[in-house]
Amino acid sequence: MNAPPRRRDLLGIACGVAALAVMAAFLLLAVFLLGEARPVANPGFLLDMPSRLADRAGVGPALAGTLWLAFLTAALALPVGVGTAIYLEEYAPRNRLAALVGSALASLAGVPSVVYGVAGLALFVRGLGMGPGILAGGCTLAALALPGVIVTSRASIRSVPEGVRLAAYSLGATRWQVVRGEVLPAAAPGIVAGSCLAFTRTVGEAAPLLVLGAVSFMTFAPRGPGDPLTSLPTQIFAWTTRSEQDFAALAAGAAVALLLVLLVLNLAALAVRRRLRGASR
Amino acid sequence: MSVPAARTDAAPVLAAEGLTVRFGRRTALTKVTLAIPRGRVVSIIGPSASGKTTLLRAFNRLNELTPGVVTAGTVRFNGVDLHHEGVDPVEVRRRIGMVFQQATLFPRSIFDNVAFGPRASGYAGDLQELAEEVLTAVGLWSDVAEDLDAPALELSTGQRQRLCIARTLALKPEVLLLDEPASALDSAATARIESLIHALKRDYTIVLATHGRRQAARLSDLTAYLAGGELVEYGPTETLFTNPGDPRTESYLTGRIP
Repeated sequence: MNAPPRRRDLLGIACGVAALAVMAAFLLLAVFLLGEARPVANPGFLLDMPSRLADRAGVGPALAGTLWLAFLTAALALPVGVGTAIYLEEYAPRNRLAALVGSALASLAGVPSVVYGVAGLALFVRGLGMGPGILAGGCTLAALALPGVIVTSRASIRSVPEGVRLAAYSLGATRWQVVRGEVLPAAAPGIVAGSCLAFTRTVGEAAPLLVLGAVSFMTFAPRGPGDPLTSLPTQIFAWTTRSEQDFAALAAGAAVALLLVLLVLNLAALAVRRRLRGASR
Repeated sequence: MSVPAARTDAAPVLAAEGLTVRFGRRTALTKVTLAIPRGRVVSIIGPSASGKTTLLRAFNRLNELTPGVVTAGTVRFNGVDLHHEGVDPVEVRRRIGMVFQQATLFPRSIFDNVAFGPRASGYAGDLQELAEEVLTAVGLWSDVAEDLDAPALELSTGQRQRLCIARTLALKPEVLLLDEPASALDSAATARIESLIHALKRDYTIVLATHGRRQAARLSDLTAYLAGGELVEYGPTETLFTNPGDPRTESYLTGRIP
């Protein structure tokens, strides 16, 4: 656009100020959180069990629970979500039913997470008899992440230039060869980025897990999907409801641990995305 | 049922009979009937949106990839109805090669682009040999022989389009459908493509959609004039250009219709 240079500079300054404000807000948040968490800053905190005595308590079970939930959510939501997106974009007939499914999925992405908790309680915990364990938690979180994964994956698949598909088909490629060889590699970086966003939001959820019946006082770390449900977000919630000051430090410490988990997940997704970008070039 | 190989020389390779193609409510082609004789170059001329691309894509069943397309009438390839339920569109596309207006190369090496079609169809021969053969045929071999692993997207626009043609030749097709292959190129690159089409004439039946009237006159044996999705006139290029039978053809050729 050909805005006069002066106007553009003002706009640039305004945007710069906005960006600085956001960075400052994040910095303040981090400083306060780390300040609060200082009393529990010791390596044992990440491994110890919760305790009635604040100075002995740790996030061991909650951390293990969150890692298990993250693993289950990814293992369930990514293949199902990406598969659904591929089907809807490349295989499904473009009729009214497909359009209906598409808009239904988009609205599911806006359903509050606590509602997924109630549905998960009815379906997974009771209906399928999974009980209030890690497995039911993973299934519920996967259901919560699915619409986001599908919607962003569909958008990435749709953004692959039509010319690439036409060229591949005109060279005698089968539909599977076109999808597997051309469309997916080109869409993969976008799929990973979008799915990662949907996924990390889900792993930080407390509400649906509380509805399912998450435990906040476990004396052992969950070792598999069959063990009782516990997680960092629900542990944070449990500690913030205690009145003693010491438990506020524990909650802050658990929050820092949760942020670290999400940071590691995001960095992993970034690395995967880099590799996919490199491979498709 | 598969499409038989060439029968007699006299029978047309491709034939559209009463072909109508609609995209949703828009009618792109209306009752087009024309036959493409073997070993000839046929130009399809006409203003933009006159149905040239749709006609070309009807010959290799590419239209059906567009949602909402409805096709009526028949298209025959070596006498067989292309829409017969036993005909595999993948096989049809391997035998009827197509080159698009925009050179859409895959973002990989030059070699991988040439090898794409043969690999997709499980070619058992030597890919290196095949690559040399088709790249030589399009006059690109001497430019790229040194570095076949270089990214295809680093080539110039003219070279890219010739690589697209080479990639199609690697399928060993019977027919080449060229959809305005030179319209995105400068005059020097266009001249190279035209002399290439001239050379390919010996080995292939070629259907060339173009809005370049002079290009059609220079290259083709037969010319079809399409307007608004209807076939207005079809005949030997010389007759059509010197003595058009339809006043609409004449106004197009003299430039009164853009």
